Order: sequence, then C-alpha cells, then structure tokens
Amino acid sequence: MNSREKELMERYIYQVVRHLPREQRQEVSMELQELIGDMRETEPSMEAVLTKLGDPREFARKYQDGSRCLIGPEYFDTYIWLLKIVLVCTAVTVLIASAVQGFREGSVMNAAGGVGNLFSSCIGAFGMVTLLFALMERGKIQLDKKQETQWRVQDLGDNFAGGKKFWTPDYLSPIPHKKALISRGDCIVSIVFTVIFGILLIFAPSFFDGVFKNGEEFFPLQILNLAQWDQILPLFVLSLAIGLADDIFRLIAGYYNKAVMASSIVCGSLQLILTFLALKVFPFWNPDFGERLKELLGDQMSPAASLFLEKWDGDLVSDALLVFFALVTAAEIGTAVYKTLRYGVQAEVPGSHR
Amino acid sequence: MGEERNLLENLSMELRRGTLVLSVLSQMKEKKYGYSLVQSLEEKGVAIDPNTLYPLLRRLEKQGLLESMWETGGSKPRKYYRRTAYGDEIYQKLRTQWEELAAGMEKLLEEERG
Repeated sequence: MNSREKELMERYIYQVVRHLPREQRQEVSMELQELIGDMRETEPSMEAVLTKLGDPREFARKYQDGSRCLIGPEYFDTYIWLLKIVLVCTAVTVLIASAVQGFREGSVMNAAGGVGNLFSSCIGAFGMVTLLFALMERGKIQLDKKQETQWRVQDLGDNFAGGKKFWTPDYLSPIPHKKALISRGDCIVSIVFTVIFGILLIFAPSFFDGVFKNGEEFFPLQILNLAQWDQILPLFVLSLAIGLADDIFRLIAGYYNKAVMASSIVCGSLQLILTFLALKVFPFWNPDFGERLKELLGDQMSPAASLFLEKWDGDLVSDALLVFFALVTAAEIGTAVYKTLRYGVQAEVPGSHR
Repeated sequence: MGEERNLLENLSMELRRGTLVLSVLSQMKEKKYGYSLVQSLEEKGVAIDPNTLYPLLRRLEKQGLLESMWETGGSKPRKYYRRTAYGDEIYQKLRTQWEELAAGMEKLLEEERG
C-alpha cells in the first residue's frame, strides 16, 4: 500500500466513522483498516476496494442502530401538526401586533423590526415545541426501559424467557372511559391562547396599556411596570412554557390517567408559584399609574373616576388576580384528579389473575 | 423493465436478509476474522457484502452471541470473533427452526409444481 492509497483509505474511514457515536469511532476505524488492508491484497487497486465497499454514508448507516432520533415516529405526526398551528398563530399575532403598534405610533409599520420579530418569534416557537416533544420522547423511552426491567413473580411462569417478557393479552390496557377522554379542541384552544398571550407579552407589552380620553385626544398610559419588564417577563414566559408543556402532554396522552394528573399538579403548582413571584415580589404595576392618570384627566374627572383612583391599589389587584388564577388552577387540577380517579384508573380485565 | 428488476432485487434482498444471522453464526464455532469470513461465505455461495457483515458482527457481539478479541501478534492487528456459549445455544435453536422452515417451504413449492 503506497502513501496515496493509504491517504484514500484514511479518507474513506473518516467518512464512515464521522457519522458514528464518538465512543465507537476508534474501534470501528481499526476494524476498517484491517478489512481494507485484507481486501487490498486480493483486489487490483485501492479504488477497486473502496468501490466494492460502496458509499461510506451507507456503511455508516448500517453501523447505527436506527433508534437515535429526536422525535420518534410515534409522536412525529402530532408534532408536525401542532408545529403548524403554533407557527401560524405566532406569525399572525406578531404581524398584527407590529401593524397595530406602527399604527398607534402614527408611523408606517416598522417593516424591518416587524420582520425581525417575526423571525425570532417563529424560531423561538419552533424551538419551544421541538424541545417539549424531544423531552417527552426521552421520557417515554425511559418509561419503556423501566417497564422492561420491572420483574414480577409471574415472569417465572410460562412467560419466563431469560428475563425478557412476552406480550400477553393481560397487558392490554383498557379502552379509556368516554368521560376520561381529553378533548383535542380544548388543548388546541389552550395552546393557541398561551402562544398569543406569550407573544404579546414578549413583543408588544404596550398592548396592555390603558387608553384614556382627555377631551378629543387619546392618551395611552402604562398600567404594567414596563421599566422592570425584563425581570418580570422571564417569569411569565417560563410559566407559559410550563403551561404549554402540560397542554402538549395532555394532547399526546389523550385521556386522563395518573401521568396526566401528576403533570397537572406539578405544572399547575409551578405556574402558581411563578405567577405569585411576578405579581407579588416584583413591582408588577406601573408605580406612577395613579399620579399620571390624575395629571392626564385633570379637572374633568368624573366622580366615578376619582373614586376609582382613590381606591386604586396595585397590591389589591395583584391579590385578586392571584386568587383568580389560583381558583382556575385548582379547578384544572381538581378536574384532572377527579377524572383520573373516577374514570382514568386502569381497570382490571375481569377474571384476570394479575 | 427497470422497475421490475428493482422490485425483484428488493424482494430477493429481503429473502436473504432473514438468513444472515444464521449464516454468520454457523461459521463462528472457531474464531475467525472479518475478511476470512467474507471469503469463506463467498466460496460457499452465500456472499455477504463486507459493509453488511462488519456492522452485523458488532451487533451480534453486543447481543452476547459472539465475543471478540484483538490479536496484535501478526503483521497487523486483527479482530477475531467466536461464538459464545449463549451464541451456541441460540444457534442450535435457530438451526432447528431453519430446518423446519426449509422442509415446510419445500413442501409448499413442491405442491405448486404439481
């Protein structure tokens, strides 16, 4: 083997092993060196040897197990379907928000900014959905493994086969009770609202401004504390992401069961904690709201408005929102727990001995 | 025409794929290195491409049917494979199944021949 042939061989081996997991590369390249060396002794040239071995990518593919994927076939259809919905509703929300903002500022829509927002938000939405599905894929794989290694006395019976289990009809889980089914529509509505709300909070928090009329003119007035928005926003985004994860999980599960119940409880509690932090720990409301409104409205304030201003207290509104959110969360968790325990628990097959 | 040939090729590949493991296991009572296995299979009329065989050997080793050892004494390092005890056991069972299958197939095809 001359140096040119050696170079060709090394290039070929590199093309094969670069597609393999790191820990296999060393060993496989030694194997291939041996193989190619042996073949070269019976073939007229290195080119003939490598042609016989064929496309290195094909070779590498045969070395791989084929089980390494981010999102498996089981979830793939749901993933693509949901991705479309989320991307469309992200894009529409961002476009409308940019247009309305441009209109408000009295200028033509800031095209560059709008397109930039469109890109970054779509990429963000894509990443979020993909990440959540990838996590679920991993979770499922681990769940499967756990099931395989769980040993039971029954394994010693007719089904015992060197630690591996045969499938028997006993493993059929019951068809979920009709009342345990989770509506796909409900999940989608919830996901769409989460996405729209999230996009608005991220790209157009000024949408939540109040607009007040002074004579013939309209004045926008910040209700939220946008000065500290960069600290408050991450809490909200995280909370929404957790809600999104819970919704996607329900969508995939399809019916209430213990896993959905656990996810509801954990996600609901986390969201509640994050909302509490955002509303109570940070100054969530614009601290100057009362003063500025008084300035704006001046003397033409109606008695109702002045009463409202006197009573305006951010803390109180926070408490009210928090109580409202806690009630909604409690209702959601309650539904999940009730439906799971009442309809979603795996029933035994009548007469089975499991 | 090309399509028909393609289809035939695919079907015949599928047919042979099922016999790969048994063919390889049958040759591994004594230790062998990869290319000597390629050659001996080819001589006996059961050719397997090296790019199929090498990954298969690794897989069978991972499944515990074969064991491997590197020998560095010769002119170049060689990886030898040999059946494990578990591999012997599986091979015997597969072999019995193959014989039953072959007998059954023979009957089917004979019947058709009339």
